[in-house]
Amino acid sequence: MTSFLLLSGSPSRPSRTAALLDDAAQHLDLGGHTATRIDVLDLPAAALLRADTTHPAIQNALAAVDLADALVIGTPVYKASFSGVLKTFLDLLPQKALAGKAVLPLATGGTIAHLLSIDYALRPVLQSLSPRHVAPGRFVLDTHLVKEGPGRGISDPTARRAVHQAVEQFVAESSTTQSSLTEPALSA
Amino acid sequence: MTTRIAVITAGITEPSSTRLLADRLAEATVRALGGPSAASVDVIDVRDIAHDVTNHVLTGFASPELQERLDLVAEADALIVSSPIYTASYSGLFKMLIDVLPKDSLRDKPVLLGATGGTARHSLAIDHALRPLFAYLGALVSPVAVFAASEDWGSTEAGRLGERIERAGGAFARLLTGAPAPKQVDPFENVTPFEALLADVTGAA
Repeated sequence: MTSFLLLSGSPSRPSRTAALLDDAAQHLDLGGHTATRIDVLDLPAAALLRADTTHPAIQNALAAVDLADALVIGTPVYKASFSGVLKTFLDLLPQKALAGKAVLPLATGGTIAHLLSIDYALRPVLQSLSPRHVAPGRFVLDTHLVKEGPGRGISDPTARRAVHQAVEQFVAESSTTQSSLTEPALSA
Repeated sequence: MTTRIAVITAGITEPSSTRLLADRLAEATVRALGGPSAASVDVIDVRDIAHDVTNHVLTGFASPELQERLDLVAEADALIVSSPIYTASYSGLFKMLIDVLPKDSLRDKPVLLGATGGTARHSLAIDHALRPLFAYLGALVSPVAVFAASEDWGSTEAGRLGERIERAGGAFARLLTGAPAPKQVDPFENVTPFEALLADVTGAA
C-alpha cells in the first residue's frame, strides 16, 4: 500500500483545483490506497509568508510531506505559471524534501494555450526538490470542471478518463518502485 | 521629463540581499539615465504588504494600501524586479504579487530582472523562470539581467557583481531612452603596422 498526499495550491474556495484533486482521491480510494490532503489555503498565512517553519500547523504539513510515498500536486495556472500560493508552501520544503518520492502534477486553467506551464514552470521546481520521479502531468480546462454542488469534479468524460488513467499509471509506477526499493537488487 | 521607476522586491529577511540588489539596480539605472533629476524611484517591498496581497489573492479585493502600490506599478515608465530564488524559481511571495497584478498592467512596460540566491548554481532561474513569466505579461524585458549569489556580495572577484549591475543598469537605461549601445572597442584599431615592426629589426627607416 502506498500513502499518497494530495496538495492543493488554489487560493479559492470553492475551487476547481480542489474538485479535481478530490476526483483523483476518490479514484485512489477505490484502489485501496490511503490519501491525505493539504490545502495550502488552510495553513496560517502569516507563518507561510514569513517562512516560519516553527508554527505547529506548518510543521504538521511538512511532516505529512515527509511521510508520503507519493504526492499529487494541483495548481491553478495564473499568468502562465503555478500559483503563488502553492509556491509559498513549496518554498518551505527542505532542499531534498521529495527524495525517493514520486510526484504527479495536475493543473487547471482557462485556456489550453497554457498546458505547457506544467512542464516549463512547475516541473523544474518539483525537480529541484530531488524527487525520484515526476510523472507526466495532466492539464484540465476550467470548463471541464465543476467546483461545487452536484456533479462536483471532472464533468467532461474525456478529461475524466485522461485524469483517471494518469492516476492509475501513477499508482502503478509508485507501488512498483516502492517494492523494488525494498528488495535488494542483486539478491537472487 | 523624469522617468518614473517602480521597484518590486520580494525578500523575506531583514536586511535582505534581494532588496539590496533592487536598490543597486535602481541606482545604476538612475545614474545611467543622468542622475536623480532624470528619474524617480518608488520601492514596493512585498514583505510590507504581504498581508494585503494575501487578502487580495483570497478575496479578489485590494486594500487601499495595496491599490496604491498596484497603481504605482501600472503608472510607472519602467519596472525593476528582484526576487529570491527558491526551488529553482521565483519565490511564492513574489508570485502572489504578480498573481494580483491586473491583466495588461505590464504590457509594453520595460522591465529589468534581478534575482538572488545562495549559490550561483541557480543563476539560470532568471532566464528559465522569471523571463517567461514577464514574457507572458507582455513586458519589454531588458536582455541584461543580474543574478547575485551570496558569495558575490563584498567580493571583488566572483563575476564582479558591481560591474554586472552597472552593465544591467546601463543597458536598461538605453532601452528606456532608445539610445544606441556604445561602440565596441576594437583592440586592433591602433595596431603598429607590420612594416614598422620590421623596420626596427632591419634598420630600414
